[in-house]
Amino acid sequence: MAVSFDYVAKETATNLWRNRMMALAAVLTVAVSLSLVGTALLLRQAVNRQIGQWNNNVSLQIFMDASASGGQIANVRSTIAQTPQITHCSYLDHQHSYEQAKRLLASSPTAIEALTPATTPTVFRCQLRNPSEASTVSATFNSGVPGVYQATSPSQSIRVMQQVTNVLQIILLVIAIVLLVSSLVLILNAIRMAIFARRREVGVMKLVGATNWFIRVPFMLEGLVQGLLGAIVAALIVLLSNFGVSYLIRHYKVSVLGSAVLPTHDIVMTELLVVLIGLVVGVAGSSVAVRRFLDV
Amino acid sequence: MIRFDNVTKSYKGQAPALDDISLEIQKGEFVFLVGSSGSGKTTFLKLLLREAVPDSGSIWVAGRDIGELSHWRVPYLRRNLGCVFQDFRLLPNKTVTENVAFALEVIGRPRNVIVTQVAQVLELVGLGQKGDRMPHELSGGEQQRVAVARAFVNRPLVILADEPTGNLDPATSQGIMKLLDRINRTGTTVVMATHDVGIVDTMRRRVVELDRGKLVRDQARGVYGYASDMTMSTRGVPAVAMAGNGEPGLERDPSSGRVAAVRARRGQR
Repeated sequence: MAVSFDYVAKETATNLWRNRMMALAAVLTVAVSLSLVGTALLLRQAVNRQIGQWNNNVSLQIFMDASASGGQIANVRSTIAQTPQITHCSYLDHQHSYEQAKRLLASSPTAIEALTPATTPTVFRCQLRNPSEASTVSATFNSGVPGVYQATSPSQSIRVMQQVTNVLQIILLVIAIVLLVSSLVLILNAIRMAIFARRREVGVMKLVGATNWFIRVPFMLEGLVQGLLGAIVAALIVLLSNFGVSYLIRHYKVSVLGSAVLPTHDIVMTELLVVLIGLVVGVAGSSVAVRRFLDV
Repeated sequence: MIRFDNVTKSYKGQAPALDDISLEIQKGEFVFLVGSSGSGKTTFLKLLLREAVPDSGSIWVAGRDIGELSHWRVPYLRRNLGCVFQDFRLLPNKTVTENVAFALEVIGRPRNVIVTQVAQVLELVGLGQKGDRMPHELSGGEQQRVAVARAFVNRPLVILADEPTGNLDPATSQGIMKLLDRINRTGTTVVMATHDVGIVDTMRRRVVELDRGKLVRDQARGVYGYASDMTMSTRGVPAVAMAGNGEPGLERDPSSGRVAAVRARRGQR
């Protein structure tokens, strides 16, 4: 199959230009829907990271007194083993606990300076069979068990926040999916119109023996370019809004939200995913159009 | 070059468009395909291009059974068959040169080959000076020459022409026929479906007549119509009665009293 790059590039460009209004509509819809997808994904990651950090991914933490004796620790350990609501527990000794505290308090160096490994309380990090039992379980440990400084569970407000962001994510994703479907249809329609506008050329091509792929490729590529352009715009929007949010968090030194600033790796992966979805939507839309409206 | 073996083709729920056709066309022949509208001429050409597939029988082009051809090879078959139509089918937004070059571009010919072949073929059809014109700036005859150039530029084995003079006046038609004749003399097989009595009669080439899908005549140096075919080719309406209606007609020969085919009565209206 001899499809020259020049020819295909030229054809695709002229097609896009001739059909620019349709193409613009398709590109913008892809951009809007993919921005929502990207935002939803980043929001999800940020919220999960932040809440994970607040919770340490556990539903119950039992802080021991820094000076708790080995016997007291062993005693608490056996109490935990006898508590059926607790499914799993890990123990952080002074050194680990200190490092953990340093991470958590990274934004307030003075607080870290006040700590040494020896003064950092050791901690049991437990997972519960059912997080809603956290308050009753923590109450039993808070009722004067020797050596226990405090048992804490994620507060109600964190759980509410988690649920709210979950709902928000679902809403964003549903809107995004609806918009994705409509952008797919728009791309399909744009390609259909391009095929219709070029039906004479297509007729002549078939007549003189152009291969099926030679006829199809410019149209497929047109859809792909529309998807890609939309995705790139979306990726920029997502990137900018992410920069905006992390700038605000840093600028106002909102240290409690420190973990909501996502690492570059996560952002790059999300952006790649957004671009990939754009490509898939473009190719899918144009493939359907080519298959249905370009009988070769 | 072309062989039909007991080819039958019918469209949904209708009488066969082609009914058990067998014939062979040698390399370099010039064949007229005649018959009234709906006699199966266009179906014949469509089957050759594999735009349609016969219900039964097989069609051979250049030693190949085209029914056996896989879907993706069909374009390569079509590169061996140049097509000319009544309505020219030129691309209105391309110049003459671009129109002809397009046929080579889309089959991936290199640039330098395209430039030389297009110039050659435009010279052949007598449009060497008009390469930069747009189709709408040309007369019908010139447009058809461009279409012939496009069909021939890739040097196909066969030229298929579906009423190429159908839209042209007799004088212009003569020019197109001369051109097709020249192309035929280069060894290219020409199959031409036509209603044009005058052309068939003056050219005196092989005539294949179809009537309601059946092969009713195959004559080496034929004319358009014969008295014996009269009722058949006009579907039972006495052909004499139709003569002078402006249709390609028949007329009674005053000396012998026989009904014979005559030239089309174009221009007498």
